Amino acid sequence: MIIRKIQIENYLCYYDTNTFELSNGLNIILGENGEGKTKFYEAIDWLFNGENRELDMLVSAKKLNEAEIGESFRVRVSMTVDQDGKKSIITKSFLAMKEKANHCYTSSFMIEGIEENKIGERIQVDGKTLLDNIFPFQIRKYSMFKGEAELNIFESESALTDLINLFSDAKHYHKYSEKGAFLREKAEKAVEESSKLDKKNDSLYKRLEGEIFQLERDKDSYKVHLNATEEEILKIEGYLQEAERHVSNADALEIINNRIKGIEEKISFATGRIDENYTTSLFDDNWILVNFEAFQREYADKVSAHSKKRRELQSEYDKQKGIREGEKKAKAELLNNSVPLPIGVPSKSHMEEMLNDEICKVCNREAKKGSEAYDYMMKRLITYLQSQSVKESEPENDNPLFKFDYTNRLESLSYSHEDNLKNLRLIRTRITDLFEFNDKRKREIEEQNEKLENEKSEREKILGKSSIGAEKLSDVLKNYNVWQKEIKNKNQDQNDYNSKLKNIEYDLKTKKEEKDNIDKNSASSFLIKTRNILRDIETIFIDTKENKFDEFIEKLQTKSNNFFKRINIDSFTGTIVFTRRNKVNRTIVEVELQEDGRKFYKPNQSLETSMHISILFAISELAFESKNQNFPMIFDAPTSSFGENKTAQFLNLIFETENQKILLIKDFLYTDRMTKILSIKKEFENVKRDKAFWVKLERPFDPNNLKTINSQVIAL
Amino acid sequence: MKSLFDKWKTRIPKYSEVHKDLFNSLSQKFGAEGEKKINLGKHFSTNYELYTYAFFLGIYNNELAPIPDGEKKIDFSHHIQHWGSKTTISTRKDFTNLQENMFIALLAKTQVDLIALEKGELSEDEAVKMLIKTMESYTNGGLILIKEKMEENSNYFLQPTSFLDMILEVKKENKYN
Repeated sequence: MIIRKIQIENYLCYYDTNTFELSNGLNIILGENGEGKTKFYEAIDWLFNGENRELDMLVSAKKLNEAEIGESFRVRVSMTVDQDGKKSIITKSFLAMKEKANHCYTSSFMIEGIEENKIGERIQVDGKTLLDNIFPFQIRKYSMFKGEAELNIFESESALTDLINLFSDAKHYHKYSEKGAFLREKAEKAVEESSKLDKKNDSLYKRLEGEIFQLERDKDSYKVHLNATEEEILKIEGYLQEAERHVSNADALEIINNRIKGIEEKISFATGRIDENYTTSLFDDNWILVNFEAFQREYADKVSAHSKKRRELQSEYDKQKGIREGEKKAKAELLNNSVPLPIGVPSKSHMEEMLNDEICKVCNREAKKGSEAYDYMMKRLITYLQSQSVKESEPENDNPLFKFDYTNRLESLSYSHEDNLKNLRLIRTRITDLFEFNDKRKREIEEQNEKLENEKSEREKILGKSSIGAEKLSDVLKNYNVWQKEIKNKNQDQNDYNSKLKNIEYDLKTKKEEKDNIDKNSASSFLIKTRNILRDIETIFIDTKENKFDEFIEKLQTKSNNFFKRINIDSFTGTIVFTRRNKVNRTIVEVELQEDGRKFYKPNQSLETSMHISILFAISELAFESKNQNFPMIFDAPTSSFGENKTAQFLNLIFETENQKILLIKDFLYTDRMTKILSIKKEFENVKRDKAFWVKLERPFDPNNLKTINSQVIAL
Repeated sequence: MKSLFDKWKTRIPKYSEVHKDLFNSLSQKFGAEGEKKINLGKHFSTNYELYTYAFFLGIYNNELAPIPDGEKKIDFSHHIQHWGSKTTISTRKDFTNLQENMFIALLAKTQVDLIALEKGELSEDEAVKMLIKTMESYTNGGLILIKEKMEENSNYFLQPTSFLDMILEVKKENKYN
């Protein structure tokens, strides 16, 4: 599609009818500030999007001034386009009737459409429908840009959705992934119901369900936290960037910021290695036994002394016992140690008779008084008589001296701790070693802290050479340091949330597997199979959708970078990187400039502009690919930060691109100091273009009187 | 073979109620580790850690201070044999060696007539009671020392080395005594 002609009639500074016969390719409209460039852009914008109110504000003051009271005239913007060899004219206009000086009554506007076929027949059609057919609304949105600020289309949250809907296959999968989720949920429910019929696992199943529910909730809430934290990080990064914008030596600042980060990491590492749990070590590492050797010695001495005493006593006891036993033995001394007869055999009277007669009447031998035989008999009689006397028998001590043996265990404790003595003696060394280790780390930290302070004051010096006033500077500095601290904390939070999420995911997986196992045993296999298929289908839909999405982003990125490299030929560019970020309910795309994979924080305005223009050209190329036709692009002052040289380069480059471009710029104009005459610079001759215009106010004019304002269109 | 140690470790030693605040402020009843312990401002993970610490501090300083009859004796219902071992905190080590050493110190410092014990003239319960009394007396002495230190300088225990220092300082002092 090509815009062949734009006509503007009695619209603001465009008095009477002004015609721009445009060409395919690059159309450049030159103009000084305030001489009609932007009004041209606004006229087209009004044609496309203008609303039906305050129309009297659009009326040319010069025309209104010239009209008689009661006279009416048309205010009109019309566009003639060529599409597939067919000509269409779209006209938006209203009537203005002068009521009194400087005041007019206006009608509502109307949009007329005229289609002309190849043989030149004209048919009246609905203008709005015609416009949307030849130049669809969504594409128009990415075709018209006013100033540099509007170039960043991704500022708008819906931009991405619009683009996807326009150009990516991903949109087809969206409804399937929703359907897939719905079906999978139904199948899960059916399996659950079936499993619940099995009462055996009822309580376990319910518990698992509860736990899974809780975990899912935790997961969601951590995701919200994570998103919020990530957003805050981006916000703070933005603040920092904004503050750094005031700094003249941005590269040095970045280097210092990196060094500070490195030092802070070293400090945190060294801090982590310091083990200051001395009180815990008293127990876990037995440090509390550091002075214990003396006690162990005392114990060992005591136990061994006791053991010795015990043995002595036992031996004495045994000896005593041996003596008593010897006596006993003597009592029953018989020849050849033979077992004696029972006491009382022979009887007392027989014994007394035998002793009286001095004869042993058992063996028929003489037993004279004083002989061995007489004495033996006498002893036996005495023993008998003694045994008959009622006296307490001698306590027969058969019990051992020591009833219990505690010594054995006491001694083995002593021996085992004796072996351990070396460890006791080492404790002091270990304590000293750890203190030395910790001291070393502390010294390291001190050194690093000193470095950190130096770097920070260096940073403040750099920040000090900033472009804002001193009183504001202290504010910025204060905030800058707070932000730096905050971003450190937020990064920590982000890590924490990520690891917590990972843990939750893991738990969730385990619980779900556990639940699936119950399902396997309880639910009917048909239901389980169905559910598994539906699970897979949902995964396929989601994955495909995401793949398509990523494909599109990838394509956009490649195309954008192609343009970007061409626009910034021979100078630093970096790479435009599109990052997909999944938020809880939506997906957004962030665009940033990277240098070796690192975010390039402070692109200058011209770099940023060329990045955004590159993206727009990429989108335009995508539009060409999907609709199989080119659409015009209209830019009002897109390159104001470029400077004339770069603008010339830029124009020469976009001259090469396929589609029709209408650029409004204020470069290449020159006012002679003496004569105040405005003219076009020679350099413009070298700028490649298909068509050029110069919009210029009719001289003389009174800058304070609108009635004298009339923009002339000069085709160059 | 009988074991006095095995019998002793089934007991729960007591401490004087006057030191209750010390336990509340220095140790965490239900066990806490790492950051939680520090956040709570506690130095000891458990009550028995403080008890063990006070005991060793007491014997190193030869502070045998029996709990006066007038003071109520309380305990924390934890048998010696469970001290340190089988805690829910997996990062900590068990206390068997410390238990043995406590017993060693007690036997060394208590006039238990071992001969009478083995002869059966002194009951095992009686002997163990004597050991526990010694334990309670030294611990009481140790707790008094901690309390004195706190009263002297309430910030003393804010240092991570404070409790270690008290144990390490003992020997130097004893040398001069």
